[in-house]
Amino acid sequence: METFLFYLFAGLMLGSAVMTISSRSAVSAAVWLIFSFVNAAGVFALLAAPFLAILQILIYAGAIMVLFLFVIMMLQGPVLPAERERRSLWKILLLGAPAAAIAVTLISWLSQSGLTAFAVAAPETAGTAERVAELLLNRYLLAFELISIVLLVAIIGALALGRKEEDLPWQ
Amino acid sequence: MDLLVTTFLKIVFMLVLVIGLVPVLIWAERKGSAMIQDRIGPNRASVAGIRLGGLVHPIADVMKLLFKEDVRPANVHGFFYALAPFVVFFVALLTYAVIPFGDYLEIGGKRIPLVVADLNVGILYVLAIASLGTYGVVMAGWASNNKYAFLGAMRSTSQMISYEISMGLSIMGLLLIFESLRLTDIVAGQGDLILGFLPKWGVVIQPVGALLFITAIFAETNRTPFDLPEGESELVCGYHVEYSSMKFALFYMAEYANLVIGAALIATLFFGGWNIPWLSRGIIEGNAGTLLPLAMILQALFAGVVALLFFRRSVRERNKFGDARDREPGFLGTVFALMCAGSLAGFALQPWNVGPQAASVFATLLQVGAFVGKVVFFCWLFVWVRWTLPRFRYDQLMNLGWKIMLPIALANLVITAVWVALI
Repeated sequence: METFLFYLFAGLMLGSAVMTISSRSAVSAAVWLIFSFVNAAGVFALLAAPFLAILQILIYAGAIMVLFLFVIMMLQGPVLPAERERRSLWKILLLGAPAAAIAVTLISWLSQSGLTAFAVAAPETAGTAERVAELLLNRYLLAFELISIVLLVAIIGALALGRKEEDLPWQ
Repeated sequence: MDLLVTTFLKIVFMLVLVIGLVPVLIWAERKGSAMIQDRIGPNRASVAGIRLGGLVHPIADVMKLLFKEDVRPANVHGFFYALAPFVVFFVALLTYAVIPFGDYLEIGGKRIPLVVADLNVGILYVLAIASLGTYGVVMAGWASNNKYAFLGAMRSTSQMISYEISMGLSIMGLLLIFESLRLTDIVAGQGDLILGFLPKWGVVIQPVGALLFITAIFAETNRTPFDLPEGESELVCGYHVEYSSMKFALFYMAEYANLVIGAALIATLFFGGWNIPWLSRGIIEGNAGTLLPLAMILQALFAGVVALLFFRRSVRERNKFGDARDREPGFLGTVFALMCAGSLAGFALQPWNVGPQAASVFATLLQVGAFVGKVVFFCWLFVWVRWTLPRFRYDQLMNLGWKIMLPIALANLVITAVWVALI
């Protein structure tokens, strides 16, 4: 059952990722990306990391992509479906085939050299909110606080850039 | 296998509660607005003369919407236009999975927890699903290719983003006190008493948080006074203006399903969930021999009085209408008389010496009843507020969200954190 679910989520995630980069309209690309994020959350949940799964939906699929869609729709406005163009399949193949070949080579090389070496056996409770909080607020406290400050600076910078010149306090 | 069956039954119970409450709420909205505005309200639709005070109208609505033509405007974006109502309805139903509607049900020595999925990140799941709720609305507004719908969707998105923050922050204080993200833990923690007489409900220990949360829920469900995305007077009716038939019905049902979920969340987080104040499970089970006959007598009395009133009316207003509607009081009187007889017949089972098994089931039923009662009350609160308060202006809405609610929620969180750290 778990294997089946893993392949289901992973397949849907990859499929919608492909749809994201290949769709013409920016809005459909964004919607496919959201679907991809939701499926990534499914994979996280299967890996016994429920906290990460929920945060994936809450932050990426919920908050960030809403703003993406918001901006895309604001700038683009209502779009007619008539402008859809025929995709040239051979171009996709030309670009995609080498990438796929590299990926398949890598995977086969990894599986021959013992893929299990990369998988770290994590206890079932490793992904819960308590464990994550414990690590974040003890061992990685400094990094966590530094990231918070960077984000704060970024927010203030964005606000300063977004305002009109004459509104700035030093003008 | 047992797990599968019980989970399925719990899902069915939740779905029946939600989808069953939707037509009742539509009725309550119409009849309640009529009551508040001093009108009579819906009273025309009838089945063989039985009108049930307008409760037949939602059934007529459903029939109408099912058989209406599904008009699709020419220039919509086909895929997203069709997808949007499903997304809205799907997201509206998702949250029910984590809401505990009772403590546990003990059958044959097995304890079944009365929650579909007891996630240890339950409250985050609720917030995550709430943040997904925007997509259906945005898709509908954009795909309709209509300026009114688009404006409605834009308003809805910005409103939901703004109030999501206050909603999340207003719960944080509660989480600090109960030290858990699991909804069942939060509800169980609210069963205690403070100083021996005050129920430890969320609203008692976090009054500011409760007020902020209820306000934010009103904004998240797009209800008046925050129903700017629909704004009939300026946007026709916002994001679902281009929808018809069952697609429109899905939007309409999702709106009320969201309302039920909002009410269930308020009841769960701040009003004790399935807890009955001063009547803990132990007390109910210990006194089931007195409480059960008492409940039966009260039910029999209530049903008997109502039945008598209906029979009196059926005699007094024998030929009021001169058609099938004259049968209604007699019919309703009979229904209530049967209820009364049923409660009295319950005494044949000797409810005063119930076994521990039946006492446990009785306690569970009482708790589930308390939860449903709270949900129904908060649903009525939504209706009540809608017909009492006027709509905000857009700048007032944004000011309230960002400049008033957000600082208060932050201050509440900091004060609660200091309080918890000191004690």
